[in-house]
Amino acid sequence: MCLLALCLPAAARADDSRTFFAMDTVMTVTVPGGSEALLSACEDEVRRLEALFSVTDESSEIARLNAEGRAVLSDETAALLGGALDAAALTDGALDVTLYPVVRAWGFTTGDYRVPDDGELAALLALVGWQQVTLEDGEASLPPGVMVDLGSVAKGFASDRLAALLRGSGVTSALIDLGGNIYCLGAKRNGSAWRIGVRDPDGSGEYIGVVAVTDKAVVTSGSYERFFVAKDGTVYGHIFDPATGRPAESGIVSATVIGPCGFQCDALTTALYVMGLERAEALLETLEGVDALLVDAEGELWATGGLRETFTPMGAYSAAAIHWIR
Amino acid sequence: MKRTFSNRFWAALLAAAFLLCAGAALLLWRTPGARTVARITVDGRVVREIDLTAVTAEASFTVQTPGGVNTVTVRPGGICVSEADCPDHVCVKQGWLEGGAVPIVCLPHRLVISLVSGGDGDAPDAVSG
Repeated sequence: MCLLALCLPAAARADDSRTFFAMDTVMTVTVPGGSEALLSACEDEVRRLEALFSVTDESSEIARLNAEGRAVLSDETAALLGGALDAAALTDGALDVTLYPVVRAWGFTTGDYRVPDDGELAALLALVGWQQVTLEDGEASLPPGVMVDLGSVAKGFASDRLAALLRGSGVTSALIDLGGNIYCLGAKRNGSAWRIGVRDPDGSGEYIGVVAVTDKAVVTSGSYERFFVAKDGTVYGHIFDPATGRPAESGIVSATVIGPCGFQCDALTTALYVMGLERAEALLETLEGVDALLVDAEGELWATGGLRETFTPMGAYSAAAIHWIR
Repeated sequence: MKRTFSNRFWAALLAAAFLLCAGAALLLWRTPGARTVARITVDGRVVREIDLTAVTAEASFTVQTPGGVNTVTVRPGGICVSEADCPDHVCVKQGWLEGGAVPIVCLPHRLVISLVSGGDGDAPDAVSG
């Protein structure tokens, strides 16, 4: 029996993990050998950030900014909003945190889905534009009617904060999964890289492949996650094109970004999805330190060179030819 | 002669015991990695997957479907639809899903909750998306 006990692997046990629901998604933080207190600290930190950023919680800083047009922000909210504005400039507005009035009109905030007509969209698009947001010395202001929603980047930002919290507590190995927004802290305890599946955009629950990473975030955007079907059968996804005010149809159906900063990955996946292949390729040529994996509407894979060694296509994609971007 | 038989007997017994232990070790080896994952689909598309073995306390969340809203509750190892605005409430009446192959189905909302086995050797540590 002693021999048997020695045979047992030191696999991650359920009590090394904490699953909770925040930011409108399910989150699991796994810290091999971590304490209950540490897992609670992670959960508390996410809830604290959610209370600052939530667009629906009337007492949040963002909700107050939207309601009053002006608000003094905490360091965290100012950092996230500032980062989002920088990302908007970098991506030529493909990521735009002022889309909220449009997203709301489509019903994606309440579940009462509808298709706004062209006149309504044109009026709402006048309220969209990241250049309308002013952020100076921690104080933000918006013109009347303009509203900010940090939902597209909050989870990536939160993953960075959790990684910093855990590192500060001496943790060298952890897996942070904030609703499919993944941050791999260090390697697994056995020294091997974390293996992160990339969800197949067909919604089957399968994955197109696995990427091996250490100390990096892996974030994927696809419209299979939230969508609605209109009466005429048209499927509308939840990622919007700020240029049209309609769900993005760029020819990219899934965008994954792998890099050291969860916030940057989160911002870039949304932007690449909206940009389409040509613009996405041009942007990726200029970015260092991040890799990307794109799936187009024909099911072809496009990837940056850093994934040559770390990405293994699987299942329906196991024999797929990959178009290398750089 | 009698002595030889006895040796063979003990050798066979030892071999059997060893095989039994090896089998048990293999079984135990797999068990810690075995996860119970609940998969929620709407209209055939996966909207959420939850590792029920990682759930430590009861918690609820809503799933918006084109037809309406289902409130899903999870607890360690189990999942159910606790509330729904569908007309028949068949999904709520199905109660907890904690094993077995029969999924929870809400036909009016085209929502299905099924258990999928996790933890096989090739499974990734997490899924992005």
